[in-house]
Amino acid sequence: MPEKTSPVEDKDPVVTQSLSGLLLLSSLLLMLSLVWAVWDEIYGQRPWKSIQKRFSQRYTAFLNKAKPRQAAVEKSVRQSEEYRKLEQEILDKEKEIAPKLKEIDQETIDVIGPRLTAITDPFALARSEIQAVTYRVEVASSQSAKDSLGRQIEKLKARPVQLTLPTGKGHSEKLRMNFSQLEQEFNRLQQRKAELAAVRGGLVKPVSELRAKLDAFVKDRMPGLTERQIEGLANKMRLFNVDIKQIHVKSVDLVDRCETCHLGIREPITLTKADMGGEGAFTSHPTKALLQIHDPERFGCTPCHNGNGTATTSVKKAHGRYKHWLWPLYDRENAEAGCHQCHTTDLVLDNASVLNVGKEIFRGRGCVGCHRYEGFDTEAESLAASRQAIRKLEMDRKEHEKNAEFTGKAADAASDNKEAQRLYAQADALRQTVSNIDHQMEQLDIQSRSLLREQKKVGPSLKEVRVKMRKEWIPVWLEDPHAYRPMTRMPSFRLDKEQREAIAAYIWQSGVQGQLPAQKPGDATRGKELFETRGCLGCHAVGEGANAVGGSFAANLSRVGEKDHYDYLVRWIHNPRERTRPFCTHEKRDIGPEDYAKKGLPFVFDLEHTTCPNDGHELQVQQMTVMPNLRLTFEESQDIASYLVTLKKPGASYPAAGYLDDPQLKPKGLALVRHFGCAGCHEISGLEEEGRIGTELTKEGSKPIERLDFALLTHDAKHEGWYTHKGFFENKLKDPAIYDKGKAKAPLEKLRMPNFRLAKEEVVAVTTFLLGSVDSTLPGHYFYNPKDQRKDIRDGWWLVNKYNCMGCHQVRVGQKSVLSGLARYQDPDWKEQLPPTLIGQGARVDPNWLARFLENPAMSTTDVNRNGVRSYLKVRMPTFSFSNEEIRKIVRFFDALSAQAQPYMPTKLQPLTDQEREMARGLFTSKAAPCLKCHATGDPAHDRNATAPNFLLAKERLKPGWTARWMIDPAMMAPGTSMPSGLFRREGGRWVFAGPVPATFGGYQKDHADLLVRYMFQFTPEEQRRLAGRGPASPAKVAMR
Amino acid sequence: MDWAQLWEIASAPDNVPIVALIVLVPFYSWYGLRQSLANDRLIAQLETDPQMAKTHHRKTQPWRPGWEREVHVWPYLLRIEFLAAIIVTFILMVWSIALNAPLEEPANPTLTMNPSKAPWYFLGLQEMLVYFDPWMAGVVLPSLILVGLMAIPYMDANPLGNGYYTYKQRKFAIWAFCFGFLILWLSMVVIGTFIRGPGWIWFWPGQTWDHNRVVFEANRDLPDIFGITSALGKGIFGGIVTLLYTAVTAIAFHKVLTWNDFNRKIYQRMTLVQYLTLQFFIITMMSLPVKMIARLAFRIKYVWITPWFNI
Repeated sequence: MPEKTSPVEDKDPVVTQSLSGLLLLSSLLLMLSLVWAVWDEIYGQRPWKSIQKRFSQRYTAFLNKAKPRQAAVEKSVRQSEEYRKLEQEILDKEKEIAPKLKEIDQETIDVIGPRLTAITDPFALARSEIQAVTYRVEVASSQSAKDSLGRQIEKLKARPVQLTLPTGKGHSEKLRMNFSQLEQEFNRLQQRKAELAAVRGGLVKPVSELRAKLDAFVKDRMPGLTERQIEGLANKMRLFNVDIKQIHVKSVDLVDRCETCHLGIREPITLTKADMGGEGAFTSHPTKALLQIHDPERFGCTPCHNGNGTATTSVKKAHGRYKHWLWPLYDRENAEAGCHQCHTTDLVLDNASVLNVGKEIFRGRGCVGCHRYEGFDTEAESLAASRQAIRKLEMDRKEHEKNAEFTGKAADAASDNKEAQRLYAQADALRQTVSNIDHQMEQLDIQSRSLLREQKKVGPSLKEVRVKMRKEWIPVWLEDPHAYRPMTRMPSFRLDKEQREAIAAYIWQSGVQGQLPAQKPGDATRGKELFETRGCLGCHAVGEGANAVGGSFAANLSRVGEKDHYDYLVRWIHNPRERTRPFCTHEKRDIGPEDYAKKGLPFVFDLEHTTCPNDGHELQVQQMTVMPNLRLTFEESQDIASYLVTLKKPGASYPAAGYLDDPQLKPKGLALVRHFGCAGCHEISGLEEEGRIGTELTKEGSKPIERLDFALLTHDAKHEGWYTHKGFFENKLKDPAIYDKGKAKAPLEKLRMPNFRLAKEEVVAVTTFLLGSVDSTLPGHYFYNPKDQRKDIRDGWWLVNKYNCMGCHQVRVGQKSVLSGLARYQDPDWKEQLPPTLIGQGARVDPNWLARFLENPAMSTTDVNRNGVRSYLKVRMPTFSFSNEEIRKIVRFFDALSAQAQPYMPTKLQPLTDQEREMARGLFTSKAAPCLKCHATGDPAHDRNATAPNFLLAKERLKPGWTARWMIDPAMMAPGTSMPSGLFRREGGRWVFAGPVPATFGGYQKDHADLLVRYMFQFTPEEQRRLAGRGPASPAKVAMR
Repeated sequence: MDWAQLWEIASAPDNVPIVALIVLVPFYSWYGLRQSLANDRLIAQLETDPQMAKTHHRKTQPWRPGWEREVHVWPYLLRIEFLAAIIVTFILMVWSIALNAPLEEPANPTLTMNPSKAPWYFLGLQEMLVYFDPWMAGVVLPSLILVGLMAIPYMDANPLGNGYYTYKQRKFAIWAFCFGFLILWLSMVVIGTFIRGPGWIWFWPGQTWDHNRVVFEANRDLPDIFGITSALGKGIFGGIVTLLYTAVTAIAFHKVLTWNDFNRKIYQRMTLVQYLTLQFFIITMMSLPVKMIARLAFRIKYVWITPWFNI
């Protein structure tokens, strides 16, 4: 190539032009790109390498820092008396066995070991030679060959071998041995070695046991890890390999490499962000208990948390936070969405407090009135299904009857005997089938009766407005429910004046007509006292804003006096389930006295009279409210109602609303009521079986983002980074009209969802719930579908929340009832007035008794104005009119919570001997344990001051095992109970009464607690009277069911 | 002007070839033409100087004393090719490191993406679907394009221009290429990439791709404008219009083929089959811009409607 290039025109550019500069440049660039490629391969695509190195450093540093700290703690444990004693014990033991050990070790090391070593080789050599010839014998084809080989073996066996065997202490012996001698010596040595080892093991065993005890002692008294455990972790870090750490669950083809960076997640030590130099990725899992239930080796990470488990190239990729990954990592505040994926039908989960709130809002605020969601509010659907099933069975029945008749006739006309018999048999079979259908229909009828009882609405029935309230209130309420009652469940609809008027007019005009009996005015002061002590505050609150006192489960009654009629309130308080007219599910209308009169029947409908006079089908005889019947007398109801009508906001005024009676507004109102889905939460005339107006939300979380209509906000959302499911839900919940922004729409085309004025945490909770509502791709066995008692617990929570049991009772450990938080119950005298805690309820009571109690908490059909068990409580356990199915579920729920076997078989108790009975009586009335001082006896004079249940109930109500445990340590089960603890003390494997024992006990060797239990379970009214020292004229006639 | 939107389209890894194409194709066209024109000047010089033509040794460079008559492939050609290989390798390396494969989420049969676009090299075909009925745009025209490309050497009666760039000697071929490839094919690819947004609606570059955008675009068929309603009438009317178009294009093209002496000389070298084949492909090719104008400017969907096909 020509060397010099110059821009001289007449030089041939093809041959003279040098490309070397260009070549150099491009070659350098190529090299550079090669270097880049290598760097990218090693570091660029593997950012986790440096992350892992950092983790290793920080974790080691953390462990090094923690080690002396833990060592100091450990040292203090080691210095304790008990530890030293144990240690000394070990030393003594060791000293004791030392000579024997020495002897054994000496023999093993000096004689047996070397001798075995010396003999093994010659013996193995000789043996293998013989074995080789033996094989040839086995495969030899001729007898003569076999014989000659056999001779060879004999020769080999007889051949002597020279060997030197040590005899201990440095001496040895020279021997000549043939094969059988070798074998014998070898076996003898082996056997001796094993013998010695066994003896040694037996000697050492107590020492190693003591050592294990010592270790356990330290571990039990150490918060965190011991020094040695930390040392182990530090060692692990020393051997730490920088590589991808992955969980591979073969059965579901799941590969999660999250732990490539999140290395501390499963470490047995708690790592906080501060511990790890401010790096949040290195912390340990915040809820270790969850990892124990969901073993990461089986569940991986992404099934709960989402994200791209396989990606390792960047944090963004691994977390799935990019456009095309459909399952991005849940935000921290929504992390519990992952739980819902598999726990779809659980209403309450441990460790998922946010999700629980979200589900409860969805259930309790009436979201489900418009949005179908599988598993929520299923009664209406089940009712329709069972109705359809009945219809089908009716048709089948008719068909079978007809066929039976025809077959019978054909048999009569049959030509021969055999044929006739066959046909008769067939006809019989058909008739049997008919009877079977009858059984099925009966069950379905029972089921639908149950379902009619279970069916509840979130809002009050609007059929009753005419008897219930003043009409001027309705339009005011519709305009802004939150202005009237800030915490109300009723959401604000975006209605204009005209729409409000039309809706109010329809509601007013469609209300049932009826006359309520006029009630005498009551005593408001007494009413207030009753309102505050009967338990109303478990659900209702009075007072606005921060001054609200009571529960938020039901309406805040601060301004109830402004709207409701006194007469109606009295009826409502006396029995909230009472309807003005029953609703026929078949005719789909409210039945009035005229319908009953036609059949000559009295206008009576209640839970015992539930059939329609016109067609015999089931009636809805109750208000569909969860508010229970508190079994108050009319006077008490009047008092409370009198108090409630005084609850008014001073100066509130309502403009006249004459238009409510304008019939022209009615059809328009109906259209609007239907359009806005009012019937989702309220019972409204003509709209009893209205469908839901909203989208189904069961799988909303996995709906493609393109199907979520951000409308004109799409671009803002994309640029502002909330074009995600979370962003959509949160904004929609905050402002349900947000996606109408900027849209030009006709009034009725606008988004209908009303504003619930959810608080920020509530928005997060509902968003979490919706994010978790996905069409899961996980295989079926990942879902939480227990068939055992856990299913009972799951079912039970739906009822516990539905009826707000937790307003008054403590159901789970750590939960506080509303009542227990009220100022009144902080007073020690009033603490005893709190409803009983239900923790351990399943272990405490007989399930059959509980079922009876739940059905009728008064435990009486006549004397109902009282508590059946704790008559001393001012708070009233109300009658909820549960369906049988609900009672079954609740009873099973409590049984399951306490892991009680089902069905319950009462334990047989040994009958008391006369002497024992005498002893028990003595104890019962002794000064040290005056049981009857607090426990009710049925004597009204005494019971006024009693603060514990009557013993007569024990036999039917309680389980003996629980009763014994309760007597021994009641404070453990119910902290703060007035039942004294420490009545018994442990003495030689039995419980003995702690106080002075009556003289009759002399030499009694059995368990005292057990004696009392047996006495209680054989307690009779006569015995009670006897103890109370009264004659048979006692009024303690308890109508037991 | 929504720069973010423009950047989103231009920076999509899928669209990198097209962005490059917008720059590279004009550059190389210009570069090739420049060389052609230089060669043309040389040809003109040699034609006036027959002596020089005899001694002249290189086709593309003027003669200089002392220059070698022929140069060897090695090293003079191969070193350039080697250099080119290095540069291309470098570009590919950088490209493959810097841009990942544009993978998206798993396909969802119940949810079609919007806009849903073909790979960049097929975008022209997809764009054609706007102007013709699917059978024409999807089957007939692509086949004709392939067959037409294969037929070019057999229809080409011009013996000049082998082995060197020239404009003067291959005016027709160059114009046909520029029109067919640069204007028709590439412009449709660019339209498909940059202009067609959600709903395959026309968005000017820099206009926000708004999924909510509604455009009133009622297309009609040509017979409708003339109030022809019967199917037979439409068929006959459309046939006549199509025939008319064919005749006009054929005559116009014939005029081009016999424009000047050079053209006429080539024309005389053509056989009848060559001539008719060329006419057929030119008429077919010209139908695309005609349909585009009719559709985009006059909202005309079809011209000729028959029970079997629509044009």
